[in-house]
Amino acid sequence: MKAIKSSSLLRLELQGTRTSVRRTLSSHSPNTAVLSRTVASGSASHFRTLQSSSVPCRSPAGSLRKPFCQARSFSNSTARCKLRTIEQVKARNKGGPFNLAAALLFVATGGALYAYFTYEKQRMDRKRIAEETKGIGKPKVGGPFDLVDHDGNRFTSDDMHGKYALVYFGFTHCPDICPDELDKMAIMYDKVVERCGKVLLPLMITCDPARDTPEVLKEYLKEFHPEIIGLTGEYENIKQTCKAYRVYFSTPPNVKPGQDYLVDHSIYFYLMDPDGDFVEAIGRNFTAEQAAKLIGDHIKDWSGPLNKKDRWA
Amino acid sequence: MGWLPWVSSDTPGGPKKTSDGAFEAPNKTNRAKCYEARDAFFECLDRHNILDSINTKGGQAAAKQACGIADQEFEKNCAHSWVEYFKKQRVVNYQKEQTIRRIEAQGGEIVAPQLPTRS
Repeated sequence: MKAIKSSSLLRLELQGTRTSVRRTLSSHSPNTAVLSRTVASGSASHFRTLQSSSVPCRSPAGSLRKPFCQARSFSNSTARCKLRTIEQVKARNKGGPFNLAAALLFVATGGALYAYFTYEKQRMDRKRIAEETKGIGKPKVGGPFDLVDHDGNRFTSDDMHGKYALVYFGFTHCPDICPDELDKMAIMYDKVVERCGKVLLPLMITCDPARDTPEVLKEYLKEFHPEIIGLTGEYENIKQTCKAYRVYFSTPPNVKPGQDYLVDHSIYFYLMDPDGDFVEAIGRNFTAEQAAKLIGDHIKDWSGPLNKKDRWA
Repeated sequence: MGWLPWVSSDTPGGPKKTSDGAFEAPNKTNRAKCYEARDAFFECLDRHNILDSINTKGGQAAAKQACGIADQEFEKNCAHSWVEYFKKQRVVNYQKEQTIRRIEAQGGEIVAPQLPTRS
């Protein structure tokens, strides 16, 4: 602000001293003009100050020079047409193209660019890490769902966050594989809890929502492990969840009451990290011990917002 | 018939039915009973050298004639869908075994398909 005021004073002075010497300073003026326009457009208040402090330019050359001088009302430096002596010109260009405004602009632009590039670099790094651990070479498994747990309460994918989750898809009328696998799940869970604390959420999502009501699930799962949470829901919700987890299932949408049928479905355990992202699929080729070790190792690796209060309790 | 103690009892074991007639989700005891009945039936089939008791008419008839009682027990203790499943599974398992044996006899190696794991 000081610089602007002093320059307008200078202009007044220059106007007072009338001399007939005129020089063209075409090599200097474009720089200052551009600079002053940029500064003026920088802030509205700045701009107002400039306008009020600027003095209408009267051209001694008459109407021929008038449009050029009037067009310079944005500038905070002395118009070229005001410069009558070589001293004036020298005074005007004393600092060359470098003045306080230019310095501020330079620093501001530099700072802004630095900040932008730093931010952008960090963002790219985050993205790269996220994709490295969660995307490339691995199927994108999992996603949001909205189901009901075996107590009849709403259970969404958000409830999985903050803990590892071991997700299994099955159904209560499953002849032989699901009970075996759920027994395995119970052993796995106990082993992981023993090693890492209660940081694992064992979930069993039914593929057969028509028959597996919350009550049925509760009755069924308590035989395997009291901590296993059974999830059911509307047919569409279950279907969407299965799709998100890339689970094949063949439940017919409209089942008559009393109908006796089986459901084909994939039989993997899905390990999800506390962000809700897929870590690993555990198939039937794993024993409960191997699977528990694998899960424990993953949990030890994790340094994210795991519910630490439970962890080493 | 000492191997199925609930056979003679008035309240037969096996899966209970819900109000709409569907089988209830079997609990551990029901499942154990079902597996036991299944194993007894399959043992009978083995004795009579019957592999397929469901897919062909001849097989069905042979199984009924040779192991009719065991079959009835099987049906009583398991949901019908389970019975079908186990009977079909028996054939599939046998074929799988034969295939593996054949490949091994030819000097091949059986590698179960695996998901890529972290190394």
